[in-house]
Amino acid sequence: MEQKILQIIADLCGAEPNEIEPELNLFDEGLLDSFAAIQLVMALEEAFGISLDIAALPRERITTPAAIVALIREKQG
Amino acid sequence: MTPYANLLFFYLLALLLLPAVVLGLIGKPLQYYGMFFSIAMLCIVFGEGGQLPALIVFYLWQTALLIFFRRVKGKRPVLWLTIVLAVVPLALVKAGEVWSAFAIFRLLGVSYMTFRAIEVLLNLHDGTVKEVSLLRWSYFLWFFPSISSGPIDRYHRFQKDLEKGVPQKEYINLLRHGVWKLIGGAFSSIVLGGLIWQYWLSPLPEKGLLPTLFYMYGYTFFLFFNFAGSSSMAIGTGYILGIRVPENFSQPFFSVDMKDCWARWHISLSTWLRDYVYTRFAVLSLKRKWFQNPRTASYIGYVLTMITMGLWHGLEPRYFVYGAYHSALMCVNEILDLHWKNFRKWKRQGWRQVCCVLVSFHLFAFGLLIFSGRLL
Repeated sequence: MEQKILQIIADLCGAEPNEIEPELNLFDEGLLDSFAAIQLVMALEEAFGISLDIAALPRERITTPAAIVALIREKQG
Repeated sequence: MTPYANLLFFYLLALLLLPAVVLGLIGKPLQYYGMFFSIAMLCIVFGEGGQLPALIVFYLWQTALLIFFRRVKGKRPVLWLTIVLAVVPLALVKAGEVWSAFAIFRLLGVSYMTFRAIEVLLNLHDGTVKEVSLLRWSYFLWFFPSISSGPIDRYHRFQKDLEKGVPQKEYINLLRHGVWKLIGGAFSSIVLGGLIWQYWLSPLPEKGLLPTLFYMYGYTFFLFFNFAGSSSMAIGTGYILGIRVPENFSQPFFSVDMKDCWARWHISLSTWLRDYVYTRFAVLSLKRKWFQNPRTASYIGYVLTMITMGLWHGLEPRYFVYGAYHSALMCVNEILDLHWKNFRKWKRQGWRQVCCVLVSFHLFAFGLLIFSGRLL
């Protein structure tokens, strides 16, 4: 799952998955902005068959790859 | 009577907040007293201004729409119809500010109450709010502290505060913060805002490049102290009633770009519009693949969001221009972020960061000059 998430992030940011550190702040590093965050959430929903309400999703839940992994784990139960 | 603006208001506010303080300090729930407080203050403020019948009609209208939507929810056209109908009172009041034929439609706080009502409808449609108690929804809609100048609270967050309540020990802390916010807000809004208006803005001649430039700076600081002060008083009053009203300003003049500005100025409005206009439009257009380049959705999203923001303030041309101006700035900001790596670096580096702050401040101040109506 981690690899799949890293690949999604890397595709969106135009980077290689091995360049994305788990604790990298994607917003501070300029890799994600509001629009890319929407694209990321939609890609995660499609890839994992889950529903993430972006309007109700606090930004800190998708700030780092590690946070995103935790979010997906939580949503998958 | 304008809220948070004169001694009589503060006297009545203190008098009616006193029982809330007592209840909070002895650890009793504040919800029902909070409702009574809001109704009492609404009757005083709207009654004195002759707007109580309009408020009752507005409340009945929004309640009828909520009940209707709860019964037939599910279909998108029904959602759109209900939202359009929910906006009708706001549109009439805004039209009344421009055209004398509509001047009978006057209602303080209609912009804020309308956004609260629409948010509940959207949440019900999305399923993020499953059930709405009419009593709590009514309290949310007419929550007095933030009725005249925000912040715009969220139904979900507001409900959590009501459900959790405030334990006795926590209330002491909340009360202390609330009182400081009230005092600080009054100082900012009435004293600092008043002084800038009296000694900076009022003496300036109406025409001329230099006076207009001074007006731009003065008006920017006036609006900040006045508006941030009003928000602070609303937040403080909310705290005393056990409601953690969200913050509305976070050092906006230290913003490094326009996106940052809108993350710090009138935060509750900009996040509301981000969540319910920008994001919804972006999601819809991405799902339906409306644009060949997905980023186009973002640019059009900014235009829709910022023009909505402008028109939310009023229907005069200056508000439309203000919204269009900010939509252009947001698009340029995004283009620079995407295509100019140095811009991203400079926003975080020493003197270059200072330059970004100064440029952002001036761009924002010019926007407020448009907003003030001095140019149009």
